[in-house]
Amino acid sequence: MTPLLMLYTLSIALGSGFLGALLGLGGGVIMVPLLVFLLDLPIHIAAGASIVAVVATSSASASVYVKDEITNMRLGMFLELATTVGAITGASIMALTTDNILKLVFGLSLLYASIVMLLQMRKMNRSWEMKSNDWIANKLHLGGSYWDEARGETIEYGVHRTLPTFGISYLAGVVSGLLGIGGGGIKVPAMNVVSSVPMKVAVATSNFMIGVTAAASATVYIRNGYVDSFVTAPVVLGTLVGSFIGAKITKKLRGVFIKRVFIIVLLLLGLRMIVSGVGLA
Amino acid sequence: MTNVREMELFVSSVLRLGVLTSGILMITGIVLLWSTGDTSSPLGVLEAAWIIGGSPFLEPSHVLFIGFLVLISTPLLRILATTMAYTRMKDWIFATITGTVLVILLISITLGIG
Repeated sequence: MTPLLMLYTLSIALGSGFLGALLGLGGGVIMVPLLVFLLDLPIHIAAGASIVAVVATSSASASVYVKDEITNMRLGMFLELATTVGAITGASIMALTTDNILKLVFGLSLLYASIVMLLQMRKMNRSWEMKSNDWIANKLHLGGSYWDEARGETIEYGVHRTLPTFGISYLAGVVSGLLGIGGGGIKVPAMNVVSSVPMKVAVATSNFMIGVTAAASATVYIRNGYVDSFVTAPVVLGTLVGSFIGAKITKKLRGVFIKRVFIIVLLLLGLRMIVSGVGLA
Repeated sequence: MTNVREMELFVSSVLRLGVLTSGILMITGIVLLWSTGDTSSPLGVLEAAWIIGGSPFLEPSHVLFIGFLVLISTPLLRILATTMAYTRMKDWIFATITGTVLVILLISITLGIG
């Protein structure tokens, strides 16, 4: 890896981390395809670098969220039981898949994620309904409360349908380990839509879990020789700085148009990945 | 640590310290790489002997790899801290839950499952 190539890697990670923070994603889903197409890196190596970067961004932002008292640590730790086992499953499958199959799976996931995001933008202000704890949540005291800055009041919430969310969390772990991404795009809707946890709490809690999930995957990537030091270091540093700047800017940015453009970019990257995975390019 | 709030603040500082330390190690590794041009052994291994010093001292890829390991251990430390806190608070259900997550991670690292 030449200094120039490392500089390119750093720039791609910076840009992906920045865009990821704007879209409320980790940078992984954008970065992995860019590393594959622009730098011709094997997808396993790109995913290996990405999963280490996911640990970094998750830990960095979780340290802020935990302080803000939005994170539901009990719910997070309970669901981590599922995500860590899922992550090890996913990363083990990754080690067995070929380049093309992994590209295909990645492309399909990107396509799915971008379509879901486009649909979500239409019903952004969908009202959230408070539900009470189900029996598992009741036994484990999973419900909680947080101070909502925008509404100026303390919001109490219960955790509904705990078991389905536990199952979906396992799947999120599998996807995270398989593709080297955080998997927040699966966990957040599960907590929010299935279990009726408020959006802000779902985002913070998902992010809190991602560090542990990604750490579990990362060890499998390392053992299989997919964490290349000279690719991973610029990727981690670039993503950290990029997502930090992105998080600062996104508070001021309200442009739905810009978000839509990014999502379409994501969609195109997904299609390109599928074409490449099928072997047409 | 006797209450949840105290634990959360501790967790928060563990996370920040981990990211900072690994960031410094990675920057050091890149500076070493550019000044020495030593691009040997880019792939690290999860073996104690190698991690502690099996390769030439300050080999760039080794320094970088230690940086990654510090980063990956951060969530692990977090789980350890919360397991201890729940045990001390006599919240046995959650001590078991966090303890199990810790064991899953440790098994994954040491036994090489996957």
